[in-house]
Order: sequence, then structure tokens, then C-alpha cells
Amino acid sequence: MTVGGCLAAAAGVLLLLAFMGFSPGHILNLWYRGSLGSRYALADTLTKACPLLLTGLAAAVTFRAGVFNIGAQGQLLVGAALAVAMSTRWLPPDTSPLIGIPLCLLAGAMAGALWGLLASLLELLRRVPMVLSTILLNFAALYLVKILLHSFLQAHGTSAPQSSQVPRHFCLPILMKYTSLHAGLFLAAGIVLILEWLQTMTVFGFQTTAIGLNAAAAKLAGMPAAWRQVQVMLIGAGCAGLAGAMQILGVAHFMTAKIGNYGYAGIAVALLGRLDPLGVAVAALFFGALDAGAQRAEESSLGLPHETANVIKAIIILSMLLVGAWSLRRTLRSGLARTDEGEATGA
Amino acid sequence: MSISLGTFLVRQTITAAAPMVLAGLGELLAELAGVIDIGIEGLMLAGALAAFLGAFVTGHGVAGLLVGILAGIFMAGIFGICSITFGADQIVVGTAINLLSLGTTGSIWMLFQTWSQNHQLSIHLTKAESFNRLALPGLAKIPFLGPAVFDQYALVYLTVAMAIAVGWILHRTRLGLVIRGMGDSPQTCAAAGIRVNLWRMTATLFAGGCAGAAGAYLSIMQTHSFAQNMTNGIGFVVLALVIFGRWTVWGLVGGCILFGAINSLQQTLQTARYTSHSAILHAMRHLPFEVFQMLPYVAALVALAIFAKSRPGPRFLGVPWRREV
Repeated sequence: MTVGGCLAAAAGVLLLLAFMGFSPGHILNLWYRGSLGSRYALADTLTKACPLLLTGLAAAVTFRAGVFNIGAQGQLLVGAALAVAMSTRWLPPDTSPLIGIPLCLLAGAMAGALWGLLASLLELLRRVPMVLSTILLNFAALYLVKILLHSFLQAHGTSAPQSSQVPRHFCLPILMKYTSLHAGLFLAAGIVLILEWLQTMTVFGFQTTAIGLNAAAAKLAGMPAAWRQVQVMLIGAGCAGLAGAMQILGVAHFMTAKIGNYGYAGIAVALLGRLDPLGVAVAALFFGALDAGAQRAEESSLGLPHETANVIKAIIILSMLLVGAWSLRRTLRSGLARTDEGEATGA
Repeated sequence: MSISLGTFLVRQTITAAAPMVLAGLGELLAELAGVIDIGIEGLMLAGALAAFLGAFVTGHGVAGLLVGILAGIFMAGIFGICSITFGADQIVVGTAINLLSLGTTGSIWMLFQTWSQNHQLSIHLTKAESFNRLALPGLAKIPFLGPAVFDQYALVYLTVAMAIAVGWILHRTRLGLVIRGMGDSPQTCAAAGIRVNLWRMTATLFAGGCAGAAGAYLSIMQTHSFAQNMTNGIGFVVLALVIFGRWTVWGLVGGCILFGAINSLQQTLQTARYTSHSAILHAMRHLPFEVFQMLPYVAALVALAIFAKSRPGPRFLGVPWRREV
């Protein structure tokens, strides 16, 4: 059903583009060559899937517990900024990469988590709706980062809002020559496995799912709903911050405010992956391929805007909603039922 | 015509507040009916581009405005079918609508730019294709207030009329009672024979039209052009202002004026700090200009932190209604 929805969405967009005078065969060919056609294309897909996977998790982990964290973009920006500050300003240049790289990544994740915590606190203490505070914090983060890129983080000898280069030895190791595929891929994959374990095998996972289904009932059952929701936010926002740090250390190697719209796309990834970490990984690979293909189509003589990839992503979500194959509540319910069975057989 | 700084600030405040009020009135009505549409940002963006293209193709600003409104209604229709008819989560659908709108307008705009470059056409609208300020005869001559308040776009005057109309409908008519009832107790409404989802859909489409018009205001009135992601979060600020205004028309209008003032002030400060001799403004010279751009969003957050707790919103806000529930 899900795969059918994706294919239908892609076919619909192709049809529209055909009306506008773009040959669907040509576009499909470019998409294929850009995403899966060669080892290099495949590496590109994986590279692009990495941040999507982490921001997807940022949305999935929180949505599942009923916390509407739309703020992955802001958390990612703040995370990236902290990683840049760490690598270009704070760490002594002769620090060993074995210490420096983990420190930079950790700083990014912590910054993201704290930025997310702001929204949690606003909701807990002042009853500010999470949906709104996270969105507004996205804009606040964007301008904050721009301010930093104009002042503290700005590269010397330029007036452009960009940071200095991250020292070479603090960059993530590249896995394949002539590509940007970096070692962060393994870290992201590890996080997926840990979160999947957390969700399916632990009391924490069971409680967060229950809270997402019905927070009042969960509270009555004695679960620390508010605390769990804060924890979930810290995990999710930390993932988003890590995505930013990883993007800087692994791909860009310096920072501008135009780091990419991974935060909002992450929501689409999370929904397509049905809020399940493994599902999110599959969805991120699919969207990564879509982005890689769209980039090839834009760079080609065709000049097809890469924004078409976003249209496809949005239509995928909407068509899945429309077909009725997907509904947040139903997913959560079946998720809980599965956990129930697991508990029963495990006992 | 030269005007004083005070007049200029008031005038800019109203110019900035009007689209927020317009979009906010629609959103307010929809939220009171129990529908929260965070896709309003996307609706505005779609309205902005559609209005631009409509005006560009037909050569008339009014036609552009109508196309913008229709685009807003169309996008709201997609939102409504998914979230009201099919009962999908409103936040999720709204997010998808934002993504859809950003992607679609971005694609179309990039293609349009290439096309207009190839044909050597300007991407700026001519006078006939866009709206210009409409000075009310007589009133515009009043010192200080005249040029500030009565020399605005036609849509601003319409917005004022609509704010009064919406306030009156909400609190003085049966329709208003029904709308508020659907947000607070849809079951009671259903028991009284009111078709909840039909009316919610109507409110949503109305909100879409308002957002579309607000988007059109940005493109064919204020800037006479379009830019990728030109709404830049105004829709989200509007969502915050509806809460800030505690779901009342006057609260909303007050909030919008406050934010319009912050916005016009920050824009003025950005330039005034280089020309003024005042010591305070002089000291601001070294601040990056993004400090000023950040102000409205931070102000929205602070406002929410102060006011969100004081009055809860409609009880069934964002909860889909089904007969069997």
C-alpha cells in the first residue's frame, strides 16, 4: 500500500511535468542515473539519506509520544553552529581527531537537545502549544545562526555570512573516494538500531507509545507522562542537532545558513516510515534517492527544479492520508497491539 | 509627498498588519470551529504566487487577487478533504500542505524565471497589473493620521470591514454560536441537527480564501513581484497571534498591530541607525541586521509564553469529528 502510494505520487508528478513539456522517460532516466545508476550515485543517495534519517527520527520519536516536534530544522541549525564553533573556535587545533570529532558531534547533539528542551519547557510551564513554539524557534534559530555567521563564527577576511573551514583532521572520514559518503552513516545506522530496541523492547518504549495514544490514560496508569515527553524531546532534538553537526563535519566542511531543508523533510520521512525507526531508515533511503535524482535532473540540460522532489514528498504524504492506508492513530494502535503481544510472549 | 517619521511608522505598521489580520480572521473562524490549519503558511504562499501569475497573465490586479483567493481555497480544500472528511491528523496534514506549497511554488517560480528570462520579460508587475495605494478623498488630508491611515491599499479597508463583520457574526448571530459550538462541543451541535463536518469544511475554505487574499496582498500589492518562500513564516506568526489574542477578533487585531509595529520599527531601525545622530541608534550600528529580523519571532514566543496560559482555546480544537464518537 505504501509503495503503491509512493509510485502513484511519483507518477502523478511525472504526468504533470509531461504536460509542462518535460519528457517523463528522460526525467526517469536522469532520476535513476542520479540515485541508483552507479556506485557514485548510490553513495550520493546514502549521503543525502543521512541527515534525512536523523531528522526523520527527530520527528518519529517525538510524534510517537504525542509530542509534535516540528522544530527539527531549528535544532539542526543550532547543532551545526555548535559543531562549527567547537571545531573552528574552541578546540585547540592540535587536538587528536579521536577526541575532537566525538566532541564536535556531541556538542551538536547537545545544542539541538537544549533548543528542543526550550519548547518542552514552554509547553510544560507556560502551556505554549509545542507545534507553534517549535516552528517559531525554527525562525529564531535561523536568524541566530545568521547573526553568529556574521560575527563570532565568521571566517576571517570575508564579509559573507559563512564560517571558516573545519580543520581537515576534524572532518569525518570519507568512505569512498570522489564522493561525500562519510563515516557518519554508521553512527546514524547505530542510532536507528538503538532507538528500535528502545521502542520495541523496553518499558520506556512501551510507555512513550501509550502516552502518545492517550496521555490521560497513561497518567492514570501511573506513567510519568510529562517526564517521558521531555525525554523523548531530548532524544529527538538531539538527533536533529547531530544531523546538523554531521552535515558540517561530513559533507559541507564549513557553514552557511543555507544548510538544507532537512528539518521539514524529516517530518515527511517520519510519516512515510510510520514512526518506526527501521521504517524511517527505509523512508530516508527512498527520499535520499529522490533528492539525489532530483539534483541530477536540475544539473542536466533539462533544468528541472529540484523543488519537484519536495512536491513528490508532500504528495506522497497526502495521497497516503487520502487513500486511508495511513492514519496516525491507527499506526499507533497497531504499534501498541504489537508491543502487547511482545510483552505477553516475553512473559 | 513628504511625511514625518511618526506618520511613516504608523503607515508601515498598518501595511504590515493588514495581511496578518486578514489571514488571522480566517484562521480564527476555523479554529473556533475546531479546525487548526497550520498549513496557513502554505496557503498564503500559494495565494501569493497564484495572484502574481493571475495578474501577470490577465493584466489586471483584481483578477490576480481573485486567482489568489481561489488558490487559497483550493489548497484549503485539499487540507479539508484529508483532515475533515477523512479525519487524518490536522497537524500532519497542515505540515504536508506547507511542504506541498513550498515545493510547488518553488518549482513553478523557478520555471517561470527561466521562461521570462528567455522571453526577456520583467518579473515585476506594472501599475495596471498590481494594486496601488488608494487615498480616501478628504480623509487622507487630515494632518498626521491622514497619510498614515487613509492612504492604504483597498484591501486594507476591506480587511477592517471584515474584522467588524466577523466579530459581529461570531458574537451576535446564530451562525456565530454554531461556529463556536463546533469547537467547544461538536456533539451538542450534531445533536441539534447541525452537520458539523460540512460547517467545519465551510469555515476551512473561508480561511483558505482569507489566506489566499493575504498572500496576494504580499505579492501584487506590497512587492509587485514574487520571491521563493516570500511569506517567510508570517503564516506561523499569525497562528501564534490567534492564540495571543485569546481567540477573539479584537485580541487578534491588537496582536497584529503590535507585531506590525515591531516589524516596521525593526525595518526602520535597520536603516535609521546609519543616518540618525542619536547616541542609542548610533550604538546599534555594529549589530548584525539579523538581530532586527529575529525580533518578530522572538516577540511572538515571548507573547505566547506570557499569554497562552491565561485562557484555553476551543476544547475540541484539532479533534476530528465522527458521528460514532
